[in-house]
Amino acid sequence: MKQRELYLFVLPALVIVAAFAVYPTVYNFVLSFRDVNLISFIRGTSRFVAFSNYLEIFKDSTFQSTVLNTLVFTALSIFFQLVIGFLLALLFNYEFPLKGFLQALIMIPWVMPIIVSGSFFRWCFSDDGLLNNFLISLGLIQEPIRWITSKSLVIFSLTLANIWLGIPFNFILLYTGLRKIPEELYESAEMDGASSFQKVLYITIPLLRPVIITTVALGCIFTMKVFDLVWVVTKGGPGGASHLFSTLSYSLAFDRFQFGKSAAVLVVMLAIVLALVAWLNLMRFEEP
Amino acid sequence: MKRKKGVKWTVLTAIPTIIIVLPLYFIAIGGFESVTEIFHRPPYLFPPNPTIAYYIEAYNALSSYLKNSLIISLGVLVITLSTSVPAAFVLAKFNLFLREPINLLFAFVQVLPSTAIIIPLYLVFTKLGLINNLLSAILGISVFLIPFAVIILRAYLVGIPTGLIEAALIDGAGYFRILRSVVLPLSSPGIACVSILTFLLAWGNFIVPLAFLKERSLQPMSIGLFLFIGQYGVEWNKLMAGSMIYTIPPLIIALMAGRLIVAGLTAGAFKE
Repeated sequence: MKQRELYLFVLPALVIVAAFAVYPTVYNFVLSFRDVNLISFIRGTSRFVAFSNYLEIFKDSTFQSTVLNTLVFTALSIFFQLVIGFLLALLFNYEFPLKGFLQALIMIPWVMPIIVSGSFFRWCFSDDGLLNNFLISLGLIQEPIRWITSKSLVIFSLTLANIWLGIPFNFILLYTGLRKIPEELYESAEMDGASSFQKVLYITIPLLRPVIITTVALGCIFTMKVFDLVWVVTKGGPGGASHLFSTLSYSLAFDRFQFGKSAAVLVVMLAIVLALVAWLNLMRFEEP
Repeated sequence: MKRKKGVKWTVLTAIPTIIIVLPLYFIAIGGFESVTEIFHRPPYLFPPNPTIAYYIEAYNALSSYLKNSLIISLGVLVITLSTSVPAAFVLAKFNLFLREPINLLFAFVQVLPSTAIIIPLYLVFTKLGLINNLLSAILGISVFLIPFAVIILRAYLVGIPTGLIEAALIDGAGYFRILRSVVLPLSSPGIACVSILTFLLAWGNFIVPLAFLKERSLQPMSIGLFLFIGQYGVEWNKLMAGSMIYTIPPLIIALMAGRLIVAGLTAGAFKE
C-alpha cells in the first residue's frame, strides 16, 4: 500500500530513462545484428545478418586504429590528468590570499562549452596556428609541426587537449579528498623528521587511495565517452586516423548511413566501458 | 585548520592557474583581432588594433541560436528537476523493495556513452517524426541529466533527519505534502547546486542538437558556431567572438557559484 504510492515519485524519472535510454540501448543491440542502411531502415526491410557487422568492423583497419587510439587517448589522458590534478591539489591544500578566486579559475575548462574549447584547439594546433607560431618565434622549432594534420601525431595532440579538459574535475575530487586527511598525521610525521616528499608518499597517497581509484574510474568513463572534442577538432581525420569509438560510430551512422555497423561499434564500446567499470569497482573494495 | 601561506604561495599557485586559463584568454582577444592578426607570428599577446566589430557581427548572427540555447537549457532544467527531486527523495529516505535495482539503472545510464543512445534514438525519433523538434533535443539531453541529478540529490537528501519525516507522517501529512513542506525547504542548497550543474551541462551540450536538430531556426549555440566554419575557410575572429559570447553565461555562473559546482560534483562522485 504505502510502497505503491512511493513508486509514483520515481515513476516519471523511470519512464523517461526507460523510454529514451534503456529502449535505445536494447534497440541498438538488435540493430547490430541486422543489415541496416538508410533505405532498408525507412522501408523496414533490414535483414538479420548474425555477426557479420562485427566481423566486418573487426577486419576494418580504421576500426583497428580506433581501438589503438582509444587506448592511447584514455591511458595518457587519465595518467596526466591525475598527476596534474594531484599536484594542483597539493598546492591548494593551504590557506593563502586569493585562493578562492584562483580555484574558481581552475574550474574554467570544465565550465566552458566543449565546442568552444574544441574550436580553440583547432586553431591552436593548425599548421599555421597559435602553438606553431609560438614555438617558431621562440626558436624552438624551424618548421611547423603538423599537430593535427599528421596521421601519427593527431591522436597525441587530441590527448593533450583532453588532458587540459579533465584537469578541473580531477583537481576538485583530489582536493576534496586531501582536505579530509587529518592535520595531526602530518604534524606527528614532522616531529619524527619526515620530509615533505616523505609525507606525500607515506601519508597522503595511501590515505587518498579510495579517492584516487574513484577519480580514475570516473576518468575512464568520461574519457571513453569523449565525442565533442574530437568531432570539432578533427572529425576523426585526417583519413580516419583520430577516430575514437564514439566518433567512428557517429560517422558510420550519419556520414555513411551504415547503421548496423555503427551499432556494432557502439556495442563493443559499451562492453569495454562496462567491463572497465566492473573491474574498477572491484578494486575499490580490495585491500591495498 | 590548514596552515597559512603568504603572497609567495599565491604567486606560485597563480602560475599553473594562468596556464590553464590561457585558452580562454586567447579566445577572448581573438574576437578583437582580424584573421591576419590571429595568425600573426609571433602571436599577439594583446590585440594590436582592438575592435568590437567582430563581437557585434557574431552577436547579430547568433542571437537566435542563443535564444534556442536558453529555451533548450530551461526546458531540460524543468524536466530534470521535476522528475529527479521526487525520485531522489524517495530513493534517499525510504526502503523501497526495488530501491537497489532502480539505483543500479540510474548508475548504468550515467555510464552510457551519449553516442550509444543518440544514434539509435535518432532512428526512433525519425519514425516518430520528432526530428527537428525542440522537444526531442530537450528529452535527449534530459535523459542523461536525470540520473546525474538523482545521484547528486540523493547524497544531499540522505542528510535530512528521518525523524522529521516520520513526525510529519504521524501528523497525517501525505508524502507529497512532506516533499513540499519538509524536504524542499531543507534541501535548497542541493537543489540550487543540481540546477546550476544541469543548466551548465544542457547549455554546453553538442551531440544531441547535432543529431536531432537539422533546421537552422531551431539550433542552439553549440551548432550555430559552425556558421563561421565555411566551405572555403574559417572566419576565426567571429568564431572566437561567438565562442566567447557563448561562454560568458557559464563563466559568470562559475565565478559566482564556484563553491556550489564543486560541492555538487564531489557529492555525485562520493556517494557513500
